[in-house]
Parts: sequence; C-alpha cells; structure tokens
Amino acid sequence: MNFQLTEEQQLVRASVREFCEKYVDPIAQKVDQEAYFPMETVKRLAEQEWTGIPYPVEYGGAGSDYLTYIIVLEELSRACATTGFTLECHTSLASFPIFKYGTEEQKKKWLVPLCKGEILGSFALTEPGAGTDAASGQSTAVLDGDEYVLNGTKMFISNAPVAGVLVIFASTDRSKGARGISAFIVPADAPGLQIGKHLNKMGIRGSLTAEVIMKDCRIPKENLLGKEGEGFKIAMSTLDGGRIGIAAQALGIAQAALDESVAYSKERVQFGKPISSFQAIQWMLANMATDVEAARFLTYYAAWCYDQGRPYSKEAAMARLFASECAARHTNRAIQIHGGIGYIKGHKVEQLYRDAKITEIYEGTNEVMRMVISGSLLR
Amino acid sequence: MLNTIACFKWVMDEADIKSDPKTRQLIYERVGYKISDYDRNAIEEAVRLQEEHGGSVVAVTVAPSGARQCLKDALSRGPGKACFINDPTFTGLEPGQTASILAAAISKMEYDLIICGEGSSDLYAQQVGPALAEKLGIPCATYVNKLTYVAEENKIVAERKLDDGIEAVSIQLPALVTVLPEINTPRIPSLKQVLGAAKKPVEDIGLDSLAGTFSPCLKTTGVLAAVMERRRLRYGTGEEDIRKVVEALLREGVIA
Repeated sequence: MNFQLTEEQQLVRASVREFCEKYVDPIAQKVDQEAYFPMETVKRLAEQEWTGIPYPVEYGGAGSDYLTYIIVLEELSRACATTGFTLECHTSLASFPIFKYGTEEQKKKWLVPLCKGEILGSFALTEPGAGTDAASGQSTAVLDGDEYVLNGTKMFISNAPVAGVLVIFASTDRSKGARGISAFIVPADAPGLQIGKHLNKMGIRGSLTAEVIMKDCRIPKENLLGKEGEGFKIAMSTLDGGRIGIAAQALGIAQAALDESVAYSKERVQFGKPISSFQAIQWMLANMATDVEAARFLTYYAAWCYDQGRPYSKEAAMARLFASECAARHTNRAIQIHGGIGYIKGHKVEQLYRDAKITEIYEGTNEVMRMVISGSLLR
Repeated sequence: MLNTIACFKWVMDEADIKSDPKTRQLIYERVGYKISDYDRNAIEEAVRLQEEHGGSVVAVTVAPSGARQCLKDALSRGPGKACFINDPTFTGLEPGQTASILAAAISKMEYDLIICGEGSSDLYAQQVGPALAEKLGIPCATYVNKLTYVAEENKIVAERKLDDGIEAVSIQLPALVTVLPEINTPRIPSLKQVLGAAKKPVEDIGLDSLAGTFSPCLKTTGVLAAVMERRRLRYGTGEEDIRKVVEALLREGVIA
C-alpha cells in the first residue's frame, strides 16, 4: 500500500497553489460578492493545460490521470469553489460523455476544443419537474430528415451561459421512459437554443447557472451521442465520475475552513490568551482535521479506483457523501470558531459556509448517494 | 546561441517550519521542500534568454542524494537538462562549500553564462554566486534586475539595482550573474511540462568524480526560533506621549 503521491502529482499541487495565490485568491471575494464569472481565470486554466487533464493527448488533453485532476480541483476549490466547480462541470460533465461515448468524429470536433479550453462545456439533464427523478424529463427529440428537433426546458444548468457546447438529454421515445432518453451534443449557437434567466444562488455565486430552453432547436443527426435510448445510461455513468469531482470540491472547501480556523484561533485573543489554547476550540479543530483527512482519503481512493480501471461507483458516492457533509458541517464549525466576525458578509468562512451546501445537492443529492451505496451493499 | 547554466538550491519551505514555543527549537518533521525563490528567477531568465536567442539551458544543483525530487521541479520550468551534483553528505553546506563543489563540476562543462539567484530562501548569504565566479575565474555581476545578451559582441549588458541607482555593466562572456526577483515573473509550469520533466536527461555527478576537498569552516552550535513579544502598550499622539514611546524603545534596546 502506498499513500505517497507521485512526484508529478506533488508538483502539480504546488503549481496549482502558486496559481491560486497569483490569480484566484485576489479575485475570490469579487467572484462571490459580485457573482462575477472569472473568465480570465478560465483562460489561464487552459494555458496551464488543466482543462482536459485526464483525457488523451490526441484529443487535446494532457494525458494525465484522474487523481491529478482531482488534486487540481481540490486546490482550486480551496481558493475559490466557483473556479473549482467551473472546471469540474467542464471536465467531468461535458467532456467525459463525449470522451466515453462519442464517435471519433465527435471527439475530434468537440472533445479537442473542450480539452484545449477553447470552449467551455455544459451538461443539461435536470428539468423543472425532473431533478433526482431524472428519467421523468419532458424534453423531446424528434428525427426530422438529417436533423433532430429538440423541445423542452432544462433547469439549473451550470456553465450554460458561457458554454460553447452542451450535452443535452431528451426523450426520443416517451413510451420507453428512462430507456427512451437520448444524449445530444448541442452547439451553443444551434438555432432554437436559448439560455434563460441566470439564477441568483446562495453559494458558488460566480458560477453561471441558467435555464436552457429548446424551441424547435435543430441539430445535425450526427450529434446524437451514443445510440438512441442510451442517454440515461450515459447520464448516470457521467454523474458517477462527476461525484469524485464534487467530493474534491467539497474537500477543498473543508480544507479552507480548517485553514481559516487554525489561523484565526491562533490570532484571536480572549481572556488574555489565544482562543486556540482553549480545549473547546482545540477539539473542534481536531474533529475538523480528522474529517478532512478522511474525506481526502475517500476521494483519492475513488480517483485511484477510476485510474486503475476498477469499479468506482460506490467509492465515488461514498467520497461525495462524506466530503460534502464534512464541508457543510465544518464550514459551520469554522463560523462558530470565528464568532461574530465569521457571520459578516464577505468574510471567507461566511462564503465557505454558503459554498459548501451545494455539494450535498448537485450531481445527485446525498440521498441518492446513500441509495447508490446501499444498492451496492444489498445487491 | 547562448549556453546557460542556471544554478538552484533545494530548500525547506519556510512556511512548513514550526517551532516549539517553550524550547524555541525548530521542528522540521513535516517540512516540504521547494526550489529557492530567487533561483526560480534564475531558471526563468535562462529559459527566457534561450527562447529569444537559442542555445541551451542546464539546471545545476548541489544537494544530498535523497533530494532527487528537485530535478523534475527544475526541469518542468524549461531547462533541457539537469546536473545533479549529489552525495549523502551534502547537507547543511556552507556557501563556500557549495561554491567549491559547483566550481569543481562546472569547470568541466561548456557554458557562456551562469545565472544564480541573488541569495537563497534559507540562508540568504549571497555568497555562492560571487564565490563561484571567483573560483571559475570569470567576471560576475550581482543585483541584476535586467539582462540583455548582445550576440554579435558575445557579451551581456546587466542592469544592477544598487542603493543609489541603477548601474549598467557590460561583461564579456563567459560570465556569471546573480539575479533579483524583479528581473522576471517565473511562469507556473503547465501540466505537460510537469509530465515531460521525467523524459529529460539528468547527469549524475558524485563526490568521487570531483577534484578537491570541501570542508566546512563554520561550526553551528545551535539554531533557535526568534521570538516576537507583544507588549500591548498604547500611547497617544501628544508630545509627552511620543517622548514615552522613544523612552520605551530605548529601554527595550530597539533603538540606541
């Protein structure tokens, strides 16, 4: 057994930390307070070759491993959860299904610019009436000559307003339920595709989230991803990997909460001593650090399973479940340690608290994570 | 064409060094290592000159044999090759020892220019560069914040940032310069640069292949953490208050 990261993984972590100090930390507060999408950072992520980390070089990727990608997400999210998530959505949700299920032509046309960071990607599954019950979506796709015609409305679609391409799910045969769903590669400029209202979120405020409306949206029939009826399978397998990414995002948020808490408790003096000298604070910090470390090992283990070609669905769900609850619990603790100042808008721990919550919800709620885990136990 | 050697030191990351508040002993047990800050500027400048004028860049370090990890870090920043001058005994070297070891190895290499950081992140003695130039018998410019290569005259023009202004010096090659952090902004290695570092050549140079002896001349009797005590005194802005501040500073020995 080996708990040592490779030299390359350690160097990448150091590079991301340096990158964050230089480019992410200085604007992290603006990203949150002004709901500012950091496009300049996205361009820099592409320059660093971090926009297609786990994908092969021939498709514009870096040809690295999933664990390296996870480390990058962790470190970016530690500085700015919006930035980490933007990359996660792009890499795990948009690029993955094209990489895994796309034809050679589709990969050349779409995966290459995605991996090179020339365009951002988005993933549109959720609908106003279909969240956890993703198979109940109402969107439809009908083949008309050489084109599919898509109709319907997608909800809570991250990156949609800045995406160059979206992977959109719609039913090609409503009578078949989940087995009638198909996946499509939809260019952002496809006729009939509209990006609706930007949603005003509680956390990850810089990440752009919007409705996606398809009104007789026409795309070439070769933009079908996989076969007709494979969409639900494609969506679920994409979300399996995405969960490791969200675990990494939660891990970064939790680590940041711990960092802030340790630093503040050493500075803040009450009763003539730094509050870090009080056992109540020490125990909170000890619990935080232990959970963060456990979340890290679960997350890295899930990524390792992915890299080894082992099954990783259960491991990803466990990592996501534990890391997200760790982030939610300990950002709360971080505010408790900070007291009043931590409750003030614009303070780092106040932001972390709001950013953490979504990691328990998106890309499958924690209730779904428990279903996945128990399902694999009871099979 | 300019063949440059960029020297670098693998140092403890000062952010990881802790101290025992009671004994003031430094605790190194969880310390990480990095390329000394100004040496990154040295490597960056060598790579920048190569991009502009062609030639080669070799990254050279003197380190204990266990510090092999430093090579990929250096190579990911652009040099085409690294020289790892190593021995298990190369720990806690004095600047004079490092300069002698470097000189013994570099005297067998072909080069036009050697670039060092102005000082290391740990000791900041600012001695290795000038001492190395002396031992190699080549000219040296320190405090350099701008470097220009004049190919047709085989010389460099170095701007030195001194207390009383900027001094521009023209030096015939081969030469050595020590650079300040203002000279450039080191680029963060891209992922492919990091992954490609392992494929670049590394020359191992052991102690047995170096002529000379490299004994220390200093003896370290102890290292203790500095202590910053807060007195929590508060003074007003009146004339009498300012007098009290000055008296307090005199009493504490802060001013004399």
